[in-house]
Amino acid sequence: MAKAALLLILSVLPGLALAQAPKADLACKATGTDFVFDCTIRLSRGGKPLEGAQVTVGADMPSMPMAHNVKPVKAQAAHAPGEYRAKLDLEMLGVWAVKLRLAGPVRDQLILHYEFDSKGATPAKR
Amino acid sequence: MDDYAIGVLTNIGLISFLALSAYLLLITGEMSFGQQAFFGVGAYAGGMLTAMYGWSLPLAALCAMALGALAQFLVGLPTLRLRGLYFAMATLAAAEMARILFELFHFQRQLEGEPVGPDGSQGFRGIRWVFEHGVEPLEYLGMVYALLALALVAFLLVERSRLGATLRGVGEDAELAASLGVNVTRVKLGVAAAAGALAALGGVLYAHHNTYIEPRNFDIMLGVHSLAYALIGGLGTALGPLLGVVLDIGALEGSRVFQGYRMIVFGGLVALLLIWRPRGLLDERAVQWLRRRFS
Repeated sequence: MAKAALLLILSVLPGLALAQAPKADLACKATGTDFVFDCTIRLSRGGKPLEGAQVTVGADMPSMPMAHNVKPVKAQAAHAPGEYRAKLDLEMLGVWAVKLRLAGPVRDQLILHYEFDSKGATPAKR
Repeated sequence: MDDYAIGVLTNIGLISFLALSAYLLLITGEMSFGQQAFFGVGAYAGGMLTAMYGWSLPLAALCAMALGALAQFLVGLPTLRLRGLYFAMATLAAAEMARILFELFHFQRQLEGEPVGPDGSQGFRGIRWVFEHGVEPLEYLGMVYALLALALVAFLLVERSRLGATLRGVGEDAELAASLGVNVTRVKLGVAAAAGALAALGGVLYAHHNTYIEPRNFDIMLGVHSLAYALIGGLGTALGPLLGVVLDIGALEGSRVFQGYRMIVFGGLVALLLIWRPRGLLDERAVQWLRRRFS
């Protein structure tokens, strides 16, 4: 708590600190079990695959982001560089904001909107 | 503590600001279905200041709180003339207008070759101050709860003061309060501005926790929940809405076994609770009883 308060006080000075943000895309296939999807995440940074990241995958319903969500799961590194796999157990079909929390070589959070149907997921049209 | 627990606790803290904001209006007798709009104003304003202009989070939060206060003050000028259901409907309409304005709001800057800023219904990505400044999830949780503790202390001090008695007096019988010399309009506008600032603070913290916001985040569902927290937890003390948030998020997290049906189960539990305790668990009578018991 004291460290948090100190950080709050010390960080008053403005300053632009833009680091190169990682990018991600997602491919998901239905597993046959209701609302469960096998997902492959491809991460890159500066055009190169992002390897060695610890990726936690969650999902929020955009209209009730802090309450209507699914429990985050850890993704496992796949064979290809920058690829990670995770099983997402959603509560229903429809548009979900998939939340990728990255740790390791880069700390960041990426939000991807996908529409999940009985076959898999496609980027949500909005 | 694992990431999941930190995430749930952070959400409880963030949503508590909104619950306290709705509670503040409830104790002065006004039921607002529109606090999510000011949460959204705070989220957009704070996000823009840090992500687009490089402001620090504390300065951005102060500015967003001022904007939230001003926004709710301006909405309060015409709507606080209304009473009861009419006020509730007016706040809902104002919040929906705000959400549609967020849908139409496009304002971006090119930073390092990338567009940054609100992009209408596509939302606003890249609110990364927390990550760019190396704030760990546990530290952010500490910041949220430090600010929440400050807000709660302010509430508890006000509730024990003459101002607190005035607010409850206005809430119970505005005409009687006016006959005793209370300027009811001024009190209600002041409360509205404070509620707007509090909601906006929650919004700023939410935007920086999530790194992304979109207009749909601030729709009626959030407004209904923010009212429900105060009504479930109780209107007898500022601890009531916080209890409501803990029960709400706790019940939602605890009912994952029901999968997609858990919102229905949760809704049923809320309905039963409100039949049993119409003014919530920590209502005025329960608070009096607790005070007698522990004083």
